[in-house]
This record gives sequence, C-alpha cells and structure tokens, in this order.
Amino acid sequence: MTDWTIILRSMRARLFSTVTTVATVAVAVALMLVLLTMRDAARRAFDKGGGNMHLLLSRDASPLVSVLNGLFYAGSPRAPIKFSEFESFAANNPLVEWAVPVQLGDSYQARYPVVATTPDFFKLFRPEPGADWAIQGHPFEIDFEVVLGSRVASETGLKIGQWITLTHGFPSQDGSGAGLGHEHNQFKYSIVGILEPTGQAYDRAVFTNLMSTWIIHAFDRIEKEAHAGESDEEHADHADDHAHGHDHDHAVAITAADVTEEDKKITNIFVRVRSREGSDASAALPVLFDRLRRGQGFQGGITVAQPKQELDKVWQIVSNVDRIILAIAAAVMLSSGIAIMLALYNSMEQRRRQIAVLRVLGASQSRVLGLVLTESAVIGLLGAATGIALATIGALIAAGIMKRQLGLTIDPTLQPVAMILVAAGTIALASLAGLVPALAAYRTSVMRNLRPIG
Amino acid sequence: MHPALQISNLAFSYEHAEHPFRLALPSLTLQPGEQCLLTAASGRGKSTLLSLIAGLIDPHAGTIEVAGTNLHSLHGHKRDLFRGRHIGMIFQTFNLLQGFSALENVMAALMLSGQPPKAQHEKAAALLDQLGIKRQAAPVETLSVGQQQRVAVARAVAVDPVLVLADEPTASLDPENAAAAMDLIQQLCREKNAALLCVSHDPAMSARFTRREKLDASPATEAMAVGGAAR
Repeated sequence: MTDWTIILRSMRARLFSTVTTVATVAVAVALMLVLLTMRDAARRAFDKGGGNMHLLLSRDASPLVSVLNGLFYAGSPRAPIKFSEFESFAANNPLVEWAVPVQLGDSYQARYPVVATTPDFFKLFRPEPGADWAIQGHPFEIDFEVVLGSRVASETGLKIGQWITLTHGFPSQDGSGAGLGHEHNQFKYSIVGILEPTGQAYDRAVFTNLMSTWIIHAFDRIEKEAHAGESDEEHADHADDHAHGHDHDHAVAITAADVTEEDKKITNIFVRVRSREGSDASAALPVLFDRLRRGQGFQGGITVAQPKQELDKVWQIVSNVDRIILAIAAAVMLSSGIAIMLALYNSMEQRRRQIAVLRVLGASQSRVLGLVLTESAVIGLLGAATGIALATIGALIAAGIMKRQLGLTIDPTLQPVAMILVAAGTIALASLAGLVPALAAYRTSVMRNLRPIG
Repeated sequence: MHPALQISNLAFSYEHAEHPFRLALPSLTLQPGEQCLLTAASGRGKSTLLSLIAGLIDPHAGTIEVAGTNLHSLHGHKRDLFRGRHIGMIFQTFNLLQGFSALENVMAALMLSGQPPKAQHEKAAALLDQLGIKRQAAPVETLSVGQQQRVAVARAVAVDPVLVLADEPTASLDPENAAAAMDLIQQLCREKNAALLCVSHDPAMSARFTRREKLDASPATEAMAVGGAAR
C-alpha cells in the first residue's frame, strides 16, 4: 500500500463526484482545444492564401475585392484584362520573376469555379511558400484537359479519364437572366489530373488552359453574330432553347484558329517579383507595387493587391471574434477549475473523518495536504486526457460540419504544442483548485472529527 | 526501561470555547503492558486528555512522555510518525477508512508507521487471520459491526505500539459483542506487551481492570470563580 492507494480509494469512494468532475474538466479541455485548433486552422488558411505570389493584378473595384475574388472565388471578376496587356507586362518587366495569367468566371455545375490559366500555374505558382502542388495524374497539357480540385473530385465522384462539360458563367442565383450561364455540351473536357487537398479554395476549383475557355468564348461570339438579325421575340424563344444546350442547325466546329485577339481575355495576373534565393522579401516589391498602382503599362489602370496585406486586413476584422472565442475558452477553463475546487471542497466535509483517521495513524499535515493536492491533479490529468480524446473526435466532426455547411476545408489535426500546453494548464489549474480544500484538510481538527456523529 | 506513559503536572484549559473547562492531572504513570481504566465526569475532559496523549494538541503546562519521549517536544511530521509507530487508538465508532478493505485499513496503519509495502500485506493478513476476519478484501463497511470493531482493534495493535488508547471502545456494541471486544483488546495488548489506557463510562468495565483512575476535569465556570476570588 502506498499513498496512491489512498488517493485511488478516495476517488473511488466518491465515484460520482470524481466522474462528474472529470467530465466537466474534459468538456472544458475539449472545447478549448477545438476552439484553439479551429482558430489556428483558420489563421493558417488565411496565412497561406497568397501562396508564393507577391502581387495579384485585376480590374476589380478594390484590392480586397480582388483578393476575395481572385483567391477565394467569392465572386466573378467583371472587368477583363486583355491577354496582350499581360504579354507586354510579362515581357517588359525585369523586376518580375514570373507572371501567371488567370481567367475566372466560368464554372462546373454552377458550383465549382473554373480557373483557366497556363501550365505555369502548377509549375511556378505555389499554394503556400515551399509547398509544391501534389497532383494525381498530370497537369493539363493540351486544350480541353482539366485538373480537378480535391473536393470537386470527392463530392462529384469524378475520376481521371472521365469527361465533363463546363458552364459559361455562373447561372444567376435569383433565377432571372437565364442567359447568364449556359452549358456547352459540344465541348467536352477530359479529366487528366486531381489535386491532393490543399486546405484552400483551390480544392473546389476546376483548372483548365486559357485556350479552351477562349474557344468557347469565340463560339459564343460567332453564334451571337449569327443570331444578330433575329427579332427580339424570336431571340427570347431562342434564349430558352439556348439554355438547354446548343442544339443548333448552324453549329460549326470552332477551333483555336477562330479565336481572335478580342476573345483572348483574362481576369487576374499572379505576379512574383525577383527576390534573393530562399527569401520571400524583395526590395523590388515596393517599387513594382508603386509603378503598377500608378497604372504603368496598363491602359486604363489596374488594381494591384498584396494578398498578404489584404488578408491581414480581413484577419483584423475577424480577430475581434477571435478574441471573444479565446475569452470564452478561458472562461470555460476557469469554470472547470471552480468545478474541481467545488467537488473537492464538498467532499472535504465527507472526508474530514478520513483525514483525521490518517492523522491518528501517523500521517503528517503536509502528507495529507499532498494527498488532496495529488488527487485534484489526478482529476485534472484524467480530465485533460479525456478532453484531448473528445477534442480529437470533436475537431473531426467540426471540420466535417464546416466543410458541409460553409465549404471551408480545415485541417482538424490538433497541435501537439496546444495539447501539451492545455494539459499542463489544466493540471496546474486543478492543483491550484485543490489548494483550498487541501488547506482545509491541513487545518482539520483531528479529535473533533473522530467523535461519534450526533 | 521507560514507562509506557508518564504524565506529570498536566494542565489544559479551554477558556474561550463555548463550554469552557479546565483539566488537571498531577500524575499518571503506566508501566509497559499495564492496563488502566479511566473514568471521567466530563466527556470533553477525556477526549481532550486522549488528544493530549496522542500529541494532537499541546498542554498548557506539564509533560507527557510516551516510552520515555516527550511527544510535545517533537514537531511536525516527526510527532505524527512517532504517534503512528508507538500509539494505537481505538474509537467508539471504529473510525475505519470507508471504501478501504479490512486488509487496507490495517495496511494503512502499517504504511503510515513507516513499514515497507511488502511487510504490510503479510503482517496485516496474519493479524486479521488470527482475529478470524475472513472477508479481508471486502470493503470494511460491508462487514458486521462486531467484525468492524475487530478490524479497528487489529489496526490499533498492528504496529506493535507501546500504548493503546481506547475511547469508549464498547459504547456502540451490544453487551455480548462488547464483552468479546474487550476480551480481544485486553488479550492483544497483553500479547504485544502494550499498555492500555481505556476511557469508559460503562459500569461493566470496572471488573475488568485492577487499576482504575478518575480524571479530575472541572467546569471552567468553577475555575473562573476561583480566578475571580483570587483577584
């Protein structure tokens, strides 16, 4: 028999109180860990938003809108950039390490945004600095090949080798304006690759090359020109027909040869300026940023955004909520500390006799103090362990809900450091909570508590 | 060889308590193995005396020596360990550790007197066997009252104490069980050569002891009246 036997018997003798206290602590620890993990995951998702790009160019209304549209696909960029503008920018800028053109605005099944770009997107751009793209299959190489984001593949069940058709534009949400989005059934895309999850918006995107998109735009343009003479009434009828697929008698094969300079439009340019090897900072960045802001090289100006700065702005808005979350977590921890104290203190009334007996049998005051403190620390430890187990399950469930309800992909892995800190904090708090009842035990009058009751 | 217990000029008083009283014991000596019955007019007086002898409270004057050691000159854990090693206590309500088995109750006494875990089990089991406790692993509260008192006696004598203090040991028992319990206590103390100081109001008790002492504990109102007269 050791002191541990006494602690275990004491916990067993008050099994209900022990179990409920452990459960209270476990729930608090789990809640705290889930909150911290979610917060951390959200922060990380924000942090890597811009990947290894320095500047995002667009013709959106503001840099923030540009980032929300260009990186999070919040909406479709409206005003296009001519491809020739991109070519001259990329060719005439010694400060630019690379520039990747991107065209947004089309979708797959009206749910998944289409990112039309060049193979450079997968070669030069990185979803987060230092991390390469991981692709099953291979990136698109020729026209009408697509790569699916991981979520597109997992949600639709599409596999490499299958064919899909894309929607030009997004159908309007309120049901009006049927012409805003329509499917091009005659243009089938071959799935050649599927991305591994990145935890970012890319997971729900479909990637293809620019020329494929331009060909469809050319097709629409040519078709529109062919229908230009029809009356309004006829046209309205036709628009209905149009939405159900291009079942036209005059359908002709459109190829890259039909694409004019006018069709060659993009919406965004991802830019990385030259920097020293291994460094993300660059002296050239402010110079180029300033030049672009003044619209140098772009007719009619350009919106230039530094994704990191814009995301920091968003994060600052969100971080107020974040602080509330932290405060809630702290309050929950504190209340569980009080619960331990209460449980031990209430049991002190029952255990005064036990403590008195132990004193008579030769236990010193400090030993009794140690027994009570250890018991509360053990409750803290059990609570922390149970809480970590609960949090692991809880984080998985929360990540699942966020994915389903909000479309946010979050890595639910708990941070080992957070786990250790929370566990250590819980045990420390539990010991602290045990101090009050332990001192009561320390001061217990032995003889009074050995007297017969009544 | 030192006496098991030697009290001289002991004085203690509760003057600020709800029921103030004064306790005085000029002299009491118990030789090793000697058995003595102590009767007291006041219930408070006897439990205070036992607390003083066990070193749980300090006297205002006088000395108490157990096996030649002045308990009150020891401090902190040393005094607690001394009590655990040399003094056994038996209570009216047994004061067994609830939720612990009979075996664990005895082992707790051995552990707190500093015995190694291995020896604890062997010694406790042997002693409980000797006392006829069969369900040694069962929680002690599931045993019969008679058996519980035996476990309490076993716990008091397990450490081979020089002095056993019994506080109304039979008050919770029916006459038959009471006689059996006293037989056991007296016999075990004799076997272990432990001195026994038994405090009781039970008239049936006096026939069992050749030595009988009366504790002089006066209510403080009287003492205060004396104090008032002196002023």
